[in-house]
Amino acid sequence: MPGAMSDDQTPGEAPDMAAAELALGLLDGEERAQALRRVLAEHGFAQEVERWRRHLAQLFDLWPAITPPPGVLERVEWTIDGPAAMQVETRAGRRWFWPVAAALSSVAAAALLLVIVLHPFDHGAPPQARPTAPAAAPETILVASIDPVEKGLPVTAVYDPAAATLRLTAAPLGDAKRSAELWVIAGDGVPHSLGLLHDAGVTALTVAPANRARLAAGATLAVSLEPVGGSPTGLPTGPVVAKGALSRV
Amino acid sequence: MSDSHAATLDARARLVDALVRTGEEDRSAFRDLYALTSAKLFGICYRICGERQAAEDVLHDVYVTIWKRAGAYEPHRASPITWLATIARNRAIDWRRAQGVRRTTPIEDAPPIPDDAPLVSETMLADEAAHRLHACLQGLEARQRDAIRIAFFDGVTYAELAERQEVPLGTMKSWVRRGLARLRECLER
Repeated sequence: MPGAMSDDQTPGEAPDMAAAELALGLLDGEERAQALRRVLAEHGFAQEVERWRRHLAQLFDLWPAITPPPGVLERVEWTIDGPAAMQVETRAGRRWFWPVAAALSSVAAAALLLVIVLHPFDHGAPPQARPTAPAAAPETILVASIDPVEKGLPVTAVYDPAAATLRLTAAPLGDAKRSAELWVIAGDGVPHSLGLLHDAGVTALTVAPANRARLAAGATLAVSLEPVGGSPTGLPTGPVVAKGALSRV
Repeated sequence: MSDSHAATLDARARLVDALVRTGEEDRSAFRDLYALTSAKLFGICYRICGERQAAEDVLHDVYVTIWKRAGAYEPHRASPITWLATIARNRAIDWRRAQGVRRTTPIEDAPPIPDDAPLVSETMLADEAAHRLHACLQGLEARQRDAIRIAFFDGVTYAELAERQEVPLGTMKSWVRRGLARLRECLER
């Protein structure tokens, strides 16, 4: 305001505005601790802080909205429903290494068997000039031992990137009332459905293009129990009953 | 005018309804609530955190918190948007202070905060304090008003504020305290 009196040249005489300062969040350290103690000790002070909060809340009206990126709500719901399942890959990843490594000998054996079954001598070219560049890595077969959370035998999964097929051993996890649905959880932390598992016999799934990049070493495969026919929401709605991490053979 | 006011009242009623039903663990109400409020709350997180990824993580935490605490929301005590926005602002400030991020310059690409008060008919929170704050802020000296606005919108402490405005800490405290005292006088008039 142009005509306002300049009344703020003497710092020593500033009025006590601790309630407003606390409501604004200006204080830190000892000043903040002292103001918080006053909230507890002085009823009038606590009321004044509340009054300031209400006044200042008017300013929220001016705050420009920005559309958040997609996927946040899905992650929120996933956290609400199954925090344990979501954190397998990120936080607990290292702790899972040894059990998975221990299981790998049997997984690798099963995988080898399946690889043989899936690819019966279809490589006619002689193995000269075998590429050693890492560019060959995406074509590597990946395996996972999807271990039941409670008890039972693991389901072995083998992913062949060249054919975009995922094969799994018998998964007696569902029943007449519920279907076992397979999910991949990759870097974005959001489960994406790969399809339903057969209770008996091998399940062969063709992986949708959007999910192919998600199937990489380190990604988590999880099985949840869903209404017959699969989750109606596109995200897991039932308990996670088995999970495991993908790794190279 | 009365049409738009009615529409605003209607929007507010929907928000109260969505928040109260979220408190009853109604998941579809929670999704409605997200659709109605996430852009506002993301705007708050983004400005205070100063980076997109952190703002996204904080927004996630904010809605998990909202889901857990919605049962404690009392419609007669606060407007729903105030209740939600306060959670977002506090969470974002907590995040920044936990990171030890000092922000002495405003973030570059955040949309500017408008100077003008919104029309009463358009506000989501016309219930409280009858809109006086905007008028009273306009009555302050520019440097007092600016300091108070920056403190609110950027979530900064006195120390950061002083550094950013390039004045000694004691001077900044003095400006703000006198500004707040005038503001209180005006608000209680």
